Amino acid sequence: MVQDLLNSLTLGSIYLLFALGMALVWGTIGILNFAHGSIFMFATFVAYLVTERVALPLPAVLIVASLTGAVLSVAVQVLAFQPIMRRAKNQHSAELQILIGGIGIAAVPIALAQRATLSNPFGLGQSTFQVQIYEIGDVRVSNIMIIILLAGLILGGGVAWWVKASRQGLALRAIGVNDEVASIMGINKQRLALSTMALGGALAGLAGALLTYYLSAITPESGDALLIKAFAAIVLGGLGSIAGVIAGSLILALSETMVLTYTSGTWVNAVSFGLIFLILVIRPQGIFGRKEVVRT
Amino acid sequence: MNFFTTNIILVENTLVVILLALSIQIPLRLGVFSFAAIGYYAIGAYGSAILMLEFGWGSWEAMIVATLAATAIAFLLGLVLARLTGLYLGMATIAFDLILVVLVLNGGSLTGGPVGVFGVLGSIHLWHLALAVVIVLGLLTFTERGKLARRFDAVREDPQLASSMGINVFSYRRLSFVISGVLGALAGSFAVNLRSTVAPESIGFGLVVLGLTVIIVGGQGSWVGAVIGASIFVWLPKFLEFVGDWEEVIYGIIVVLAAIFIPGGIVGLFVEAKHRRQSKRNKEVIELAATRLAGSGEGASDANSQVEGALSD
Repeated sequence: MVQDLLNSLTLGSIYLLFALGMALVWGTIGILNFAHGSIFMFATFVAYLVTERVALPLPAVLIVASLTGAVLSVAVQVLAFQPIMRRAKNQHSAELQILIGGIGIAAVPIALAQRATLSNPFGLGQSTFQVQIYEIGDVRVSNIMIIILLAGLILGGGVAWWVKASRQGLALRAIGVNDEVASIMGINKQRLALSTMALGGALAGLAGALLTYYLSAITPESGDALLIKAFAAIVLGGLGSIAGVIAGSLILALSETMVLTYTSGTWVNAVSFGLIFLILVIRPQGIFGRKEVVRT
Repeated sequence: MNFFTTNIILVENTLVVILLALSIQIPLRLGVFSFAAIGYYAIGAYGSAILMLEFGWGSWEAMIVATLAATAIAFLLGLVLARLTGLYLGMATIAFDLILVVLVLNGGSLTGGPVGVFGVLGSIHLWHLALAVVIVLGLLTFTERGKLARRFDAVREDPQLASSMGINVFSYRRLSFVISGVLGALAGSFAVNLRSTVAPESIGFGLVVLGLTVIIVGGQGSWVGAVIGASIFVWLPKFLEFVGDWEEVIYGIIVVLAAIFIPGGIVGLFVEAKHRRQSKRNKEVIELAATRLAGSGEGASDANSQVEGALSD
């Protein structure tokens, strides 16, 4: 039981790191980034390529992955999403174009990684960090689990604080409520969007490297599944609420672990899909979201 | 003829993808972000296959019943998801599609689990499918002309305005779910009858992406877009053979470029060109009118007749 809880918390922290970036970008500048999953994967892939040549210590690997994630994310914003938003005639078509653009971009890094690895899983085993497992009573904890939990706790709390208390956070929330008024108040949406995308990408890269240490390898396609799970976590908590993303990630991880424990593994994916569907039908604004009234 | 027989599978795929793409396009034309088409496709394909293999039904009976079932589910989905709009609706319907994938993966001997269903031998031929596509396209033409087309546009572009004009926005949206259900299920049923097999990976997220890219690159506004898009993306791999391993990369880049530079799709390009021609002509007319006003007197009657000539074009 304690073991299940610990595993869920670890998995939940990974979901959180991944979903935080997505939620920030979507909830404020209104971009649902479908390339987020492939950024997550490709950042890890770059870290893998680097560790194949140089045996780096863990902090260096995490920095490489985060930086790659941030750079990729900014590139996607500059090369695709910004031109789309500049050209789109209204919000509705912008949303659709961004969705498609993200899907198209996502295909490129996945194809590159598949080509390089021949679709085999890749890991970060060549770095100097070794996973160690400690047994406390009958609970097994590994050092990477502790690092993941700490990362989830610190970064989850940190981002929540940043959005709530800092000036940039206030500006971001203002854009989320009404970007026209926000720009009248002197907020530079473009610049803020770039830094938010960079943060989101960095978090995705970090999540990728940590998950790869935890599972010992990931495949080039693993970002896609996470994308849907992150979406589930975000709508579960309610878009625009960082506390919601934290709660959503943990609830999702907990329910998945339960399903994995009590049924055969093939039903696990139904949890995230089912949760998305249920929450959107019953309470579209999510657990923490406020109701927005739209008549038509 | 030789070209046709060697590429018969691609022709077949093109027609199936046209139906599937239309099943996504009709809701989009009414501003409904529903990707449930892939779910209806799955119900059509697996429904037909199971009815034919387990119950010994004929192709046509199985197709009709599977399509009715999918349509009923589509109607219910339309009721249940009526409150959602935009991306939320999109993701809820994607979740619906993926739940079906998990269901067929766990369906035991009925759905064949991860391997899928094999040996669906029916009495349906390619020309049946071609005829069905032609009929559907013919019917859709009526929604793209005149009053009905304007109503569709109003419901999509400005639901508030549309309902203030007495258009029942909700019933149009519900209707889009039903039509989507029929088209999606037909696509699935035809596909399984012609290919004789269906597997979970052929009804997954990849199909959602294919359907969506077909519509975006081809064009959202008209069935012509679905036909162009389906033709491009079914035949593209054949023409990209020379790039070998880079096919997926090029595919991704094409999709991104289309998303950025041709928001209206390929059909949109033609529509835009037409508008530009028209506005250019209008401008010329206005200039002529201006010269006529400026130089009232000599040459005025000449310019006058020119303007009239231009306007009557």
